Amino acid sequence: MHWRIAPQIQARRMIDRKPLYLMTPALAWLTAFMVAPCLMILALAFFQRGIYGGIDYTFTLENIALVFDPLYANIFLKSAFIAGLSATIAVVIGYAAAFAITAAPAKRQAMLLFFAVLPFWSNYLVRTYAWIVMLNREGLIAGAAQWLGYDGELPKMLYTETAVVIGLVYNYLPFVILACYAPLSRLNPEIAEASRDLGGNGWTTFRRVILPMTVPGIATGFVFVFVLSIGNFVTPALLGGGQFQMIGNLVYAQFLTANDWPFGAALSMFLIAIMMGLLTLQTYASERASGARREE
Amino acid sequence: MTQPLLTIRNVRKNFGSVKAIDGIDLDIHENEFFALLGASGSGKTTLLRMLAGFELPDDGEVILDGKDVSQVPPNHRPVNLMFQSYALFPNMSVARNIAYGLEMEKLPKAEIRSRVDEILEVIQLSHLANRKPDQLSGGQRQRVALARALVKRPRLLLLDEPLGALDKKLRGEMQLELKRIQNEFGITFIIVTHDQEEALVMADRVAILKDGRLLQSGTPQEIYEHPESRFAADFIGVMNFFPVTQESGHLRAQDGSTITANTPLESAARGVAAVRPERLHIGGNDRDNSISGTVSAIAYHGLDLQVHLKTPASPDPVLIRLTADVAERAPIGVGDSLTVHWAAKDTRVFAV
Ligand SMILES: Nc1ncnc2c1ncn2[C@@H]1O[C@H](COP(=O)(O)OP(=O)(O)OP(=O)(O)O)[C@@H](O)[C@H]1O
Ligand SMILES: [Mg+2]
Repeated sequence: MHWRIAPQIQARRMIDRKPLYLMTPALAWLTAFMVAPCLMILALAFFQRGIYGGIDYTFTLENIALVFDPLYANIFLKSAFIAGLSATIAVVIGYAAAFAITAAPAKRQAMLLFFAVLPFWSNYLVRTYAWIVMLNREGLIAGAAQWLGYDGELPKMLYTETAVVIGLVYNYLPFVILACYAPLSRLNPEIAEASRDLGGNGWTTFRRVILPMTVPGIATGFVFVFVLSIGNFVTPALLGGGQFQMIGNLVYAQFLTANDWPFGAALSMFLIAIMMGLLTLQTYASERASGARREE
Repeated sequence: MTQPLLTIRNVRKNFGSVKAIDGIDLDIHENEFFALLGASGSGKTTLLRMLAGFELPDDGEVILDGKDVSQVPPNHRPVNLMFQSYALFPNMSVARNIAYGLEMEKLPKAEIRSRVDEILEVIQLSHLANRKPDQLSGGQRQRVALARALVKRPRLLLLDEPLGALDKKLRGEMQLELKRIQNEFGITFIIVTHDQEEALVMADRVAILKDGRLLQSGTPQEIYEHPESRFAADFIGVMNFFPVTQESGHLRAQDGSTITANTPLESAARGVAAVRPERLHIGGNDRDNSISGTVSAIAYHGLDLQVHLKTPASPDPVLIRLTADVAERAPIGVGDSLTVHWAAKDTRVFAV
């Protein structure tokens, strides 16, 4: 039997080989400047911290154990909560926006998408500072409230968890819109019409037909926002005002202030593991769903 | 006759400056198998979508069972549409696809299950009930789409080019299958096709659409034997045309020969005389008309023989259909000279 299958396999290999060659420069680049340094940093997690900072190359599992210390484990949980909340809100808003864009006339969709993504092209710090201008006690929102005749005490907005969530949602929203727009715009409109034709109202059609078919976009958007949020340290630092720490801030502090590289490496290792896990899940989910979308 | 199931009265629909439907009147009766026939862009899909409720007419009425339903949304019409793209739900199995419409009616679970099982039997796909649409062949998808619409037992089932995506052999089988199912369920079918042969095989009545207007409607035989326009004559079946001018009551072909017909050319000096290939005979010079030419091609079609005749009377070769035994008695070869004859009663005349 073997000899009968062999030619087919060989044929497939010949087709596969070409793209592999083309990938070598990119793979070499990634390995040399990304994978190798990362692995080197991660290896530090298994060494001891030197007495005056620096690294003492003696093997230890202490850093790994320390990650599970309730103090740090809580920061992990807190970060995951903030990231999850931001991702959920971003997906709800982003999906609605993408849905509205696909409902617009085809000619106008490109323009609407362009505007939705526009903030993405400006500097991350500038965008985040803009929220400080909006949210602080003398900021735009307070000013607007006053102008409208509200002279009571406004709740504290800047330097709160809410501010951090707002900042994260705002920053990553364009990506969610793009991620949700892709499957929504690919939907054959006749499928939604078929649901109406069979007696479904608008809501049922959305819930039972449109939503399930666009889950891959939602998953991509959610995972993207979650992964970027959980490791983010700029937004918590600027909008959280150092009031509370997320994992990103903790890693930042270990490397740059506490000078404890081994512990920083241990924290990073867990962070990367979480991200990799989620990205793998998401890839798997969208691959499975793409089978279901083949019917065009 | 009793009240028609469906009455379409002076319906119009514009898309911007395009008159997709330009004033159509049509009655369709209970239990009829009706075919809408027309070239691409003639408005067939638009008319069906209007009957299903996806397009609202700009003017006119759609009356179903005596009620004006022109403004009723699709989910409240006892009408189902089988889409040109099938539009199966890719995230649901075959059985779930079919059950969907019944779930929308909030029928008891047991009834839904038995009706789904029953229709799966009818379309002979019971063994694939749990497959997803992308695991089916084109023909199987087509049957699922049909079952999904049929299971709701609508008053009116609309089918937009249901067989368009199938290969020729499967089409032939499905044409008979559709006919059988329509008979069995006693549901009125309106089917869209641009294949005239398909319309002739399946339909009780046919309507020809052109540029959003209804050109002619009637039984396939009526349209075949008595086309009212050159377009209808050309669209249904094969037709030979001879350009003619009318001089003092006589029709003169472009080679100068006279053609006689039972009806004169009305209110025009120029027109075409038309005759079906099977009405042309090689013997019998007692017939009213005759045309001579040279045989340019012969095609065997098993039962009959198609002969192309190049003649000065027509810019296109004249097509003659001879039965095998006639051809045997008088063998014909390419290059032979040939004279064909036909009767005045078989001549149709149209203005151009
Ligand atoms: N949504 C629309 N917007 C603008 N023009 C349309 C729209 N739908 C149809 N038309 C136009 O209306 C006319 C009729 O279209 P329709 O789809 O009904 O044709 P059809 O007979 O179904 O053709 P086909 O055999 O190619 O399916 C065409 O000129 C088409 O371009
Ligand atoms: Mg069409």
